[in-house]
Amino acid sequence: MFEMLFALIIGFGFGFALQKAGLGKYHKIVNVFRFTDLAVLKFMMTTLAVSMVGTFALNSLGIIALPAIPPTYVVGNLIGGLIFGVGMAGAGF
Amino acid sequence: MMKLLQQKEWSPYLAGTLLGLVYIVSIAVAGIIPGASGAFENIGGLIAQAIYPDLAKNTYFQFVMPPGITTAVMILLGIFIGAFVSAKLSGDFKLQVVSDPQWKRVFGAAVWKRWLVLFLGGILLEFGAGIAGGCTSGLAIGGGLFLAPSAFIFIAAMFISGIPTAWLMYRRKY
Repeated sequence: MFEMLFALIIGFGFGFALQKAGLGKYHKIVNVFRFTDLAVLKFMMTTLAVSMVGTFALNSLGIIALPAIPPTYVVGNLIGGLIFGVGMAGAGF
Repeated sequence: MMKLLQQKEWSPYLAGTLLGLVYIVSIAVAGIIPGASGAFENIGGLIAQAIYPDLAKNTYFQFVMPPGITTAVMILLGIFIGAFVSAKLSGDFKLQVVSDPQWKRVFGAAVWKRWLVLFLGGILLEFGAGIAGGCTSGLAIGGGLFLAPSAFIFIAAMFISGIPTAWLMYRRKY
C-alpha cells in the first residue's frame, strides 16, 4: 500500500517536471530530431547527471542499495530503440 | 516560489534537475526505477485476461510483464495528475483535437492526419519499448544513470531512426 501511494507521488513529480520542460508538446520532441531545439537532450542529460551523482553518493555512503540494473541484450535494445525512434518522431512523445 | 510554479516553461536544466531528484528519491526510498511504458503492458495484460484469457497465459505476460495494477501503473496515473497540475498552474491547459502549432503549419489542421500518425506512432513507441525493455524514462535514464550499456544502445538507436523519420516527414521544411 505504501509502495503504491509512493509510486503515485513519484509519478506526480515526473509528470510535473516533464510538463514544465515543455515535453508534453509535439514540436519539442520532434525538433530534437531536426536539431532546431535540443531541449529534450538538455533535459535528459541533466536528469542523468543529477540522478547519477545523487544515487552513487548515497550508495557510497552505504545509505542505499542499488536496484536491479536494466539488462543489456544488444539486439533487443537496438531493434527496440530503432522502432521506438520512428514512433517518437511521428507521435511526438 | 509560487511565481516559479506558475511559469509556463522552465529551463530544461531546472526541470531536468527536478526529475533527477525524483529519480534519486524513488531509488533511495523504494528501489523503484521510474518508467512510463511498462504500465501499458500491465494494463494490456489485464485487458487480455478479461477478453482472451489464453493470450494472458503466454510467456511474456507470465514472466516478463505480469498483468495487474503495479507500481508502474500508479506512476503512470501520477504522471497524468502531475502534468495536469503543472499545466493548470501556468494556465497552459486547453482541450484541443490538434494542439500543436508547428504540426498545423507544416501538415495542416486535418484532425484525421494528426490522430492517425499519433495512433500509429503510439503503437510503434510501445512496441519498441517492449522489445528494448524500457522507454526513455525507464531504460535511457533509469539505465543510463548506472551507465548500463543497454541505455546507451537504446539512446543511439532512438536517434538513428528518429532523425531520418523526421527528415522524411518534413523534407524541404527540415
